[in-house]
Amino acid sequence: MTGNFGLIWLVIGMPILGFLVQSLLGKRIVGNGGGKRVAGALAVLPIAVSFAIGVYLTMQLAQAAPDQRYVVVHAFDWIKIAGLNIPFEAAIDPLSMMMTLIITGIGSLIHLYATGYMSEEKDYTRFFTYLNLFIAAMLILVLGNNLALMFIGWEGVGLCSYLLIGFWYKDVNNSKAANKAFIVNRIGDWGLTLGMFLLFVVMAANADKLGAGADNRFLSYDVILPNVVTLLKGMPGVTTAIALLLFVGACGKSAQFPLYLWLPDAMAGPTPVSALIHAATMVTSGVFMLNRLHFIFEMSPVASAVIACVGAFTALFAALIAFGQTDIKKVLAYSTVSQLGFMFVACGAGAYWVGMFHVTTHAFFKALLFLGSGAVIHAMAHNQDMRNYGKLAKYLPITCWTMFIGYLAIAGFPFLAGFYSKEAILGYALANDHASIDGVNLGYYAGMVALFAALLTAFYMTRMTLLTFFGNQERWRLIPAAAHHDDHAHDDHGHDHGHAHHEGHDHGPDKHGFFYTDEELAAMPHEHEHHHDLDETHKPHEVPPSMWFPLVVLAILSAVGGFVLANNGLLEHWLYPEGTTLLKLEEHPHHLPGGLSLMGYSLIAALGGILIGAIFYIKGLSAKEGWDESKWNPFRKLARDQFGYDALMVNAAVQGGDDLGLALWKGADAKLVDGPVNGSGWFAGALGKIIGSLQTGFVRMYALVMLVGVVLLLGALGYAISRDGGKSVTGYKVMPPGGPVGGPAVTRSQGGN
Amino acid sequence: MYKPVILPIDWSMIAPVVLVAMVGIIALCIEMARPKKNNNLIVGFTLAGLAVAAIAILVQFDMDSYRIGETLSGMVTRDRFSLTMQLLVVISAFLSVLFSEGYLREKRIPFGEFYPILCWSAVGAMVMVATQNLLMIFLGLEVLSISLYVLAGMSRSENKSEESALKYLLLGAFASGFLLYGIAFLYGGSGSIHLDTIRQSWAVGNSGSHMLLLFGLGLVLIGLGFKSSLVPFHMWTPDVYQGAPTNVTAFMAAGSKIGAIAALWRVLDAMGMMQQYWMPAMFWIAILTMTVGNLIALGQKDVKRVLGYSSIAHAGYILVGILAHVREPMKIGSDTVSYYLLSYALMTIGAFAVITLSARAGKEGTKFGDVQGLWHRAPLAAGSLIVFMASLIGIPPTSGFIGKLLIFKDAMAADLAPLAFVLAVNSIISVYYYLGILRSMFVVDEEGEYVRNSAMNNGLKSACVICMVGIFGAAIFFSPLMQLFGTR
Repeated sequence: MTGNFGLIWLVIGMPILGFLVQSLLGKRIVGNGGGKRVAGALAVLPIAVSFAIGVYLTMQLAQAAPDQRYVVVHAFDWIKIAGLNIPFEAAIDPLSMMMTLIITGIGSLIHLYATGYMSEEKDYTRFFTYLNLFIAAMLILVLGNNLALMFIGWEGVGLCSYLLIGFWYKDVNNSKAANKAFIVNRIGDWGLTLGMFLLFVVMAANADKLGAGADNRFLSYDVILPNVVTLLKGMPGVTTAIALLLFVGACGKSAQFPLYLWLPDAMAGPTPVSALIHAATMVTSGVFMLNRLHFIFEMSPVASAVIACVGAFTALFAALIAFGQTDIKKVLAYSTVSQLGFMFVACGAGAYWVGMFHVTTHAFFKALLFLGSGAVIHAMAHNQDMRNYGKLAKYLPITCWTMFIGYLAIAGFPFLAGFYSKEAILGYALANDHASIDGVNLGYYAGMVALFAALLTAFYMTRMTLLTFFGNQERWRLIPAAAHHDDHAHDDHGHDHGHAHHEGHDHGPDKHGFFYTDEELAAMPHEHEHHHDLDETHKPHEVPPSMWFPLVVLAILSAVGGFVLANNGLLEHWLYPEGTTLLKLEEHPHHLPGGLSLMGYSLIAALGGILIGAIFYIKGLSAKEGWDESKWNPFRKLARDQFGYDALMVNAAVQGGDDLGLALWKGADAKLVDGPVNGSGWFAGALGKIIGSLQTGFVRMYALVMLVGVVLLLGALGYAISRDGGKSVTGYKVMPPGGPVGGPAVTRSQGGN
Repeated sequence: MYKPVILPIDWSMIAPVVLVAMVGIIALCIEMARPKKNNNLIVGFTLAGLAVAAIAILVQFDMDSYRIGETLSGMVTRDRFSLTMQLLVVISAFLSVLFSEGYLREKRIPFGEFYPILCWSAVGAMVMVATQNLLMIFLGLEVLSISLYVLAGMSRSENKSEESALKYLLLGAFASGFLLYGIAFLYGGSGSIHLDTIRQSWAVGNSGSHMLLLFGLGLVLIGLGFKSSLVPFHMWTPDVYQGAPTNVTAFMAAGSKIGAIAALWRVLDAMGMMQQYWMPAMFWIAILTMTVGNLIALGQKDVKRVLGYSSIAHAGYILVGILAHVREPMKIGSDTVSYYLLSYALMTIGAFAVITLSARAGKEGTKFGDVQGLWHRAPLAAGSLIVFMASLIGIPPTSGFIGKLLIFKDAMAADLAPLAFVLAVNSIISVYYYLGILRSMFVVDEEGEYVRNSAMNNGLKSACVICMVGIFGAAIFFSPLMQLFGTR
């Protein structure tokens, strides 16, 4: 295998370099006249360079024979102890390079977009510091050749996600959202680490069977993948346990039920972050992991069935919730959760490449939709509520029509990207019986549920598009100019109760229950004050080129990406050449109830959803969905509240955990544990005081203590030698049980000297 | 019998020592000229010289070009252990010099002779660690100690500084007597002062010579035990650490201890054949050293004193590593001790460097109360102190954790489980007083009277950052480091 695969370190290194530049020099660059333009360019450039190198390496890789496409690039030995060797290695194969291209390609577009979107932000370089660091961590996640490196990346992206959700940390709600994301992900990590440990145990216990070259690298993919099938054969229980534990990790990161909770709240972050991290890249890492370790999942039909069911349920559940959302970013957030569910349906059915296919197309159109929504928000004075929009197509033509392509793509409109990947998901799910427990083909039912979710997808996306860009009314004209929409020092970053009207600074508690004095209020930074509030005088403007250019690129990708990748099985054969999967899968279901082909059903789902949506919303916002939420119908109210799931979780976990902790503290800790612990501490302290009393400060005392020590030491030595008269000539360990022996003196050579 | 082999003299072996000695001499000349009436040139020159010496040591790790062996009739030894220890001594000296100037100025003792004397002290330690000749060990020890006596009493107007110098001198002389006497006995029992020859003479000896050797070893251990502050020869440590100027204490705690421990390692390694006689005694010394240091530290109210006791405890931990090596010389090498000393030097010097901030305008208070609220005044220093304390406690992902883990592992492998247990218990005890230091840094008691500290200076900043980066770096890159240190 030839080629300059060492360049892979440059791919990872460029974002790290960008991170260092932004963090260490960023403020200086912005301050020294270079301004935000230079700092922004320095943030985009490394990612673009990484992308270019990534393209080059992918082309190199494509020249190799299909079964040669796994290159390990060694950097250094990272952890090397007896029985375990974890080198710092990169794995270059179709899967990792595809993720690399998505991350750096879409990443650089979003970076470019962000230079415009964040241009009024005071902490400009802090934003790009995090964003560059995120790219680096994500690349380590996908490029690392072992589970330990993947875990570093996994945690690294989690950290960056946390930092970016809480980017506007002065609003306590944003900090809470960041905490929620971080904490919910810990549950996922719990599963992921346990799965890793279990896999490690299986590998380490069979160290002798791993073949030459394994060299104790139990966590490296190039050791795991060729061996795991033989090792796990005959251990279905262990296989399922590993698969399910790893899937718990995937559930956390990829926002699947029951751990999806954090993703809608994560919309508190700046919109480019939502596009990059919470739609296109990070949240797909669960799907990536399933692909990376697909043998394990292929060997466990039970785990696969669970994955398919969880995916299908999430797809349906999130799609339903999307109907109750009025915040444009929340709609997209639930749509993301729902689409991630589709990916897991595919993986559960055993069609891993289809999961990656949907990852790719979803990255195109969801990044587009998020960036478009960001453009709308940007144009609408950072107001995110769709009830204030309407007829925006007139003001934002580029945004509107690019987003329209994205909307059609996600709805599954024929021959756009989403059509191909969704069709493939449904096809594989309905045609195969891999995901079954006790002969019940759960994968089939998951496919059916997903088909219905596809209909809903088209429906709620139509709702969002029509409410935002079309209709018969420019609804923000209804806001009187005098009224203030929440004149707090931030905009409405994605929380539902942002419409409390304040009567100026009235010295009462603010909406988070904090009291401020006059001085504090005066000292509060008003970062977003330059945004005037949205009211009847507002006139939206199209966004600058740095923001619409990425939209156009992504719109083109959303339009043609699916066709290009699906054509002649390009993606399938690139990711999984003949013979690299265990399962033999059918591509199309042979007969479906009702006699229609799958193509017919998915067309009905896509076009029907669009049609129903158009009927409901073509005239814009109906009174039943207006500001007065008491007039909403019961379903919509339930959907708005996530069917009570979020509140239940918060009550059970947070409040329940609080109560439990309190009870344990008062009952067990204070009563049972503290006594002995404090007692032993007191005892140690008292002992120390007694011994310390010798420390009088007088030299004569010190010399005396030394002298006592001398006598004791020499006495001990004398006693020891007097027992056998010093006849022993051998060392301690080499002395035979019978005591010292005569014979040749054992002299020890000088070792390495 | 021992047959002397005269090899061609390999000057590269002594090049680092000569370099550091020359740096001291030239620094003294600069001090006499004293351009611009300040020490900046001396500091710069000393730092540069020490850096060059470090490089001179580092290149010799290339064992293909630089032979392992002895030169100057067996006076100087070069192996991975000696190179590692020399490197650690030079690093310690470098770091101590780095933050000294600001402190000396604040303390109103900006004497330029500090730098040359520190260099010569380092020379003593470097001589000690790179020889198997007992007289050379003694010579190095004395050069090291006499320089330190002078440095400890450098703050001439302070009673406690003078007191600490005098105590150190008196007790040090006492201990040196034992050491020299012990060397004489070893010579009497073997006819040589070379450790390797003594090792061989045990195998061919009779019970009479065995008694002489064991008695000699006991006396040598007293001398070296004093220097590495093993209990019960530790009494001087807290007083001297507390009284000496803090930058001197930093070098004393790191450089001087590295020298003494390295010599101890060599002696015990050579005397491995007779360990059935001395192992029980050293076993108890290790337990005492670990425990006594920690227990007394619990009740202390002075940061420097606490760190003094903590250094006693750490000497105990290292002794466990040495004993494990001696019991299983083929399985367990010197890399554990080397790694621990590296990590110990970084965290101790770092901690003392932060403490130097409490000196201001000729006054210095190192009580817990005096460092209160340092977090608000010098966040970088206080923040790095968290790292140093975490490492001293042994919390991952610091090198202190890995060091303790390695010692623990060695102790278990060498069938010294009781020592491993005592080590673990002591680590828990030590958390209390380390956190106590941190607590005082962050909490301001109700009186809220801010004690003014000196300002951060660049030297101190870089010392903090280097130590911090080193602590994390040594933890992350511990396998490459262990390979560098080698097993011997």
